[in-house]
Amino acid sequence: MFDFLEPFFFGLFALGIIGAGAAVVTLRRITAQALLMALTFACMAGMFLLLGAETIALFQVLIYVGAITILILFGVMFTKVDDRGYGLFFQQQTPWAAAVVLVIALPVAFLALSFHDPITPSAKGGDLIPLAASLFTDYSFPFEVASVLLLAALVGAIVLVKRDDQ
Amino acid sequence: MPIGPFGIDPTIWAVLRLVIAVGLAVFLVLNGALAQIFLERKIQAVMQDRIGPYHTGPFGLLQTFADAIKLLSKEDIRAKLTDAPFFLAAPAIVFSPMLASFVVLPFGPDFVGANLNVGLLYLTTLGSMTVLGVVIAGWASNNKYSLMGGLRSAGQLISYEVPQILGLVTVVLYVGSLSMVDITNSQPGLLVNVLILPFAFVTYLIAALAETNRNPFDLPEAESELVAGFLTEYSGMRWAVFFLSEYGEVTVVSAIMATLWFGGWHGPGVDAVPILGVLWFTLKTYAFVLLFMWIRATLPRLRIDQLMGFCWKVLIPLALLNILASAVIILVFADPRLPLAVTNWLLVAGLIIGLPFTQRRRLLRFRSRTRDSVGLRDARSGLSP
Repeated sequence: MFDFLEPFFFGLFALGIIGAGAAVVTLRRITAQALLMALTFACMAGMFLLLGAETIALFQVLIYVGAITILILFGVMFTKVDDRGYGLFFQQQTPWAAAVVLVIALPVAFLALSFHDPITPSAKGGDLIPLAASLFTDYSFPFEVASVLLLAALVGAIVLVKRDDQ
Repeated sequence: MPIGPFGIDPTIWAVLRLVIAVGLAVFLVLNGALAQIFLERKIQAVMQDRIGPYHTGPFGLLQTFADAIKLLSKEDIRAKLTDAPFFLAAPAIVFSPMLASFVVLPFGPDFVGANLNVGLLYLTTLGSMTVLGVVIAGWASNNKYSLMGGLRSAGQLISYEVPQILGLVTVVLYVGSLSMVDITNSQPGLLVNVLILPFAFVTYLIAALAETNRNPFDLPEAESELVAGFLTEYSGMRWAVFFLSEYGEVTVVSAIMATLWFGGWHGPGVDAVPILGVLWFTLKTYAFVLLFMWIRATLPRLRIDQLMGFCWKVLIPLALLNILASAVIILVFADPRLPLAVTNWLLVAGLIIGLPFTQRRRLLRFRSRTRDSVGLRDARSGLSP
């Protein structure tokens, strides 16, 4: 009865991701960009929900919408808005950009089209326990490496902003 | 065809249930805010030896209604140089996540909008989205006080999210579930979680005060320094929406505290009459709402550096220590309740005893530094002390 809902929401989220993502790149107003980026992340979270990965969806919103977008806005507020900046910087780069996009986009498209494994929604209990198990067994080394990287960034930020007179 | 509750098809019931839940949430938010504003005025009046509202209706009960009508009928003022779309969107961005939080709150046995198995994570996530609206409001107002308020709130809310989540983690470790219903069911008797995990509760309480912009952490608004911060340019119903969300958030965090640490809807007589659970849940939630008002009437506002220093240097390290200790204890002991309680109460005692000492040392250092600089200035200007 509600079978049409899933493709409908998939289309909605896909439009949201692509449209808002394109707008982030093309728009000039930086607050609008930040908000649209939040929308892109929220739509990504919706995609994860459709795949039955509600924990990942919630973490996506918690970290990307709630923290990273805010940090970017925080940076924007400390930056003087300047009208010329971007145009000069990006003027000469169209051919190079096109080449880079092709190199990345072609394998991604190929991979996406050759992928036929149907998604089976996870069993009762959600994706929380499988996620935790794989994070702390199979992927514990990358997890630790990422945490060390973040710690180093944290310490680095503190060193950078520390005043000399203390 | 399977028949769900009230003879309705289960697929339709699932949708209908959500609609009813959202409708009830709107009802609760609006009426809760009215009740809370009245309570806040009366309680502050009692604490400050005043009478409070008394002209409109019996005991001034209709005063908030009158205020609501005033706010609704006010002219919609928008300054010329505000960033229109964002200025208009900001109240909605703050309001909607708060409203969505009500869906997973367990009001009573079988009385919950949606029993998500990641309910607690859902609540945290929605709580973190509020910041976006506040920052956008501060930026779009095109006013330096609003911007300062927005910046402060970005720093404050993101920082205090960390101890807030760390406080929740200990309970989740102990109970072993993120579902609000499971957490309620895990504490049926008198041994509620607050007796076992009081330090996690203290951490969460302090962080929740900061997350909801309540005194002593209401720096983003800070009437006396920032002329109400990000709210400066707002008036009428848009302003009221910000305050509705603030009261709604207070209700949500109070409900989280009541559920996680005080047994939620459990109470005498619930097994016989399940609807009593709603009463117990409401009573427990409003006990915390009143606690927030008491704190507001008692404590002065912190300074921004004290606020951030307390979060990063005191609250987060202690909360991390608590998580480490709790995880080890839960792994080692078959029945972790007693050791967990001992460590947690020790941490609470350490926090309460330790704080005055560190504060006193800071104060002494600060005084000596001021004395030095005053002495230097006098020496330069040729004045002898």
